[in-house]
Amino acid sequence: MRKTKRSILGAMLLAFALIMAACTNDDESGGEEPETGSGELSGNVRIWTHQNDAFNDGLQALADSFAAENPGVTFEFETFDYDTYIQTLQTSLPAGTEADVLQVFGSWTCSYADNLAPVPESVLTTADADSAFFEAALDGYKCDDQLYGMPQEFNIEYGATLVNTELAEAAGLGDLSEGWDDWDAFTADAQKLSEGGEGDMTRAGFMFTTADALPYTFYSMIVQQGGSYLSEDGSAFTINTPEGKAALEQMTSFVEAGLVDPVLYNDEANWVGDCFFATTCAMGVVGPWVVADYKDDFPEVAAAATYAPLPSMGDEPNFVADSGWGLTVSNRSEVSDAAWAFVQYAALDAENALEWNAAAGTLPALRANAEGDAATTLVEGFPQFGPFLDILGSGQFVGELPDRDLLWYDITYPHILSALQGNESIDDALAAMEREANETIGG
Amino acid sequence: MTTPIVENQGDKEAVSSSAGLRGSDRASGGQPDGGRRRWFGGRQGRERKFVFGVMSPMVFYMAIFSVLPIIWAIVLAFFDYSARRNGGPVVGLGGDNPFVGADNFGQMLDFSEERPLEVRQFHLSLKTTLMFAFVVVPVNLAITLPLASFIESIHQRMRPVFRNLFFLPVLTSAVGVAIMWGFIFNPQQGLLNGLISQVRGQDTIIAWTTDPNLTVLGIPVALLAVIVAYIWQDLGYNLIIFIAALQAVPQSMKEAAVIDGARPWQLFRYVTVPLLKPTILLASILTMISAFQVFDLFQVMTAGGPQDQTRALSLDIYESAFRFQRMGWSAAISVVLFLIVFGLSLVQSRLLSSDWEY
Repeated sequence: MRKTKRSILGAMLLAFALIMAACTNDDESGGEEPETGSGELSGNVRIWTHQNDAFNDGLQALADSFAAENPGVTFEFETFDYDTYIQTLQTSLPAGTEADVLQVFGSWTCSYADNLAPVPESVLTTADADSAFFEAALDGYKCDDQLYGMPQEFNIEYGATLVNTELAEAAGLGDLSEGWDDWDAFTADAQKLSEGGEGDMTRAGFMFTTADALPYTFYSMIVQQGGSYLSEDGSAFTINTPEGKAALEQMTSFVEAGLVDPVLYNDEANWVGDCFFATTCAMGVVGPWVVADYKDDFPEVAAAATYAPLPSMGDEPNFVADSGWGLTVSNRSEVSDAAWAFVQYAALDAENALEWNAAAGTLPALRANAEGDAATTLVEGFPQFGPFLDILGSGQFVGELPDRDLLWYDITYPHILSALQGNESIDDALAAMEREANETIGG
Repeated sequence: MTTPIVENQGDKEAVSSSAGLRGSDRASGGQPDGGRRRWFGGRQGRERKFVFGVMSPMVFYMAIFSVLPIIWAIVLAFFDYSARRNGGPVVGLGGDNPFVGADNFGQMLDFSEERPLEVRQFHLSLKTTLMFAFVVVPVNLAITLPLASFIESIHQRMRPVFRNLFFLPVLTSAVGVAIMWGFIFNPQQGLLNGLISQVRGQDTIIAWTTDPNLTVLGIPVALLAVIVAYIWQDLGYNLIIFIAALQAVPQSMKEAAVIDGARPWQLFRYVTVPLLKPTILLASILTMISAFQVFDLFQVMTAGGPQDQTRALSLDIYESAFRFQRMGWSAAISVVLFLIVFGLSLVQSRLLSSDWEY
């Protein structure tokens, strides 16, 4: 019996040792460089992306054309559903088992930077990147002034509102595509689109109470007034400020005017995409990607969907944005030359980048593709892009935050929603947000 | 006592060994593979081989997928570990993922006003989970036991129909159940509000799962909505257990009680229920354990809202680990959850144990 136990214990220890060995970092796995180094690229480039058919079809087309121009290079795509992808990145990067090219959401880049390769100067300098890409799209890829990748899209969630033109016409509002002069004019129109009141609202005139829309709206309103929610050196959050208070008061005024009932409309119920396409809300704050997502199921509503620029709390239509999806290269890649050449080909070459934007239905990260013929091409394919293309230059990166998701979803959203629902005063909400945000950086 | 047939030397030693003669270990020491031959030789050896053969895959499976993760979670609970950071060379521990001793557990005992957000969320999720479990277990048992008794009392032909009817939700995906109940509780298009509107004769909109101010006896209505969905799905499981137990209750005892003049309620209260005590213990422990582990219903129906009122411990563990990358903190919560379930199971078994069997 004792021997049986010993055998089982031995087997378990062996299994444990094998698993520990498998989980241990292998820092000496650099291996040989299979590329020739003579200027001719070669090697098999593994690419990891999240599962988005439109994104991946566009990237695959670029990989095919790159491989045709560089016969020595082959590509191997591996895709993961969104949640699995995040976990895979988080576990594989420290373990050193990642692919050569990694599709990364820009705002996450710095949290993975230890395992990513800086963009070589020969590929793109930071100064050249600044002039080629929009600031908001690029800055997430910069960590301590070092560039770690290139954005492919401009991820925008604020700046213009989704409008159901049929409901607007029925309410006698006419063409709203030019936007409004100020918030009063906007509120008056949105009121006409609301049906029902607090507690029995059947249609929200303006739905902005989701976990993404509330923080984007709040922080954008702060920067529109010339304020900042981060101290100059980035060491502390400054949310409980006159600008923060004015922003929250403006948002509260929307609720008081009956534009939305935040108890019935929030991130858990009547999410903006769902309510807009079910016509239980007439306008809503959400990026243009939502139209592509819902149009197959709701073609009639999609046909009536357009975007109208929102008024600003200042002189400029400033807004905050995350850096969107782009491409990075692992610092352990054995085919880094080919990998960087492909990233450059896909994200920096204006023609190829436009091809991908058109295939993926995303706004361009490259300044060159937001104007002229390129812009016309995009608007022909995606009419809802029109109002956004004009304001992309006014976007600023949300900032290098210690934990952006924590700030957005567990600090800003619950407190602002609570204030809008009348369960927390504006002053208490601002104080709590500032305190909790500073806890994330130990400030 | 029969003497085992001895086929060869190996068997003889095996028999000695099985009789508790430890000296046999030393006796075979002089033969290079005597121990092996003794262990696997002969008829008992073949039996051992068979046992090893059938048990090894499960032992390996349990070791790798159950024991190791538990050990790993306990280890992580003592580190400030995040998979995003590069730690030390061995499994990423140390370095940027430092050892913090019992700090994670110490923080959980911080009840000051200034405690960090994650600690407040932990306290809230612990309260929510306890509330959920302590409502679910008695309600579940209060429904399933009489229901099982009722099903057993009806005509034999109808029993399978009811059994299948009540067991079907158990086979349904929890995500599907959550979506269905989410639709029922939807404020504008939900079936429940539609029904209430019909009865009242006017449009009624109640935000069952999103109004933080809606409570009944201090329990958030959103949590009650999840409890309803959970009990609906889990009902059939305990029902089958109780039906099986009821079928095992000796008919003679029931007949004796009837001869003594017991009425149906008395028969159920004083004969059936006491005889089912071990089964009630089993069902309550299993229900309690699964109630502490519910994740999908919370995630899909309410996502922890409104205002974290349905943020269960399992959701807190998931969010801390995979959304906010606080693996060490998350592992510490997992250890606490494990200890709570373990402790409650011990208490339940002590309270409901019986000294007899039938």
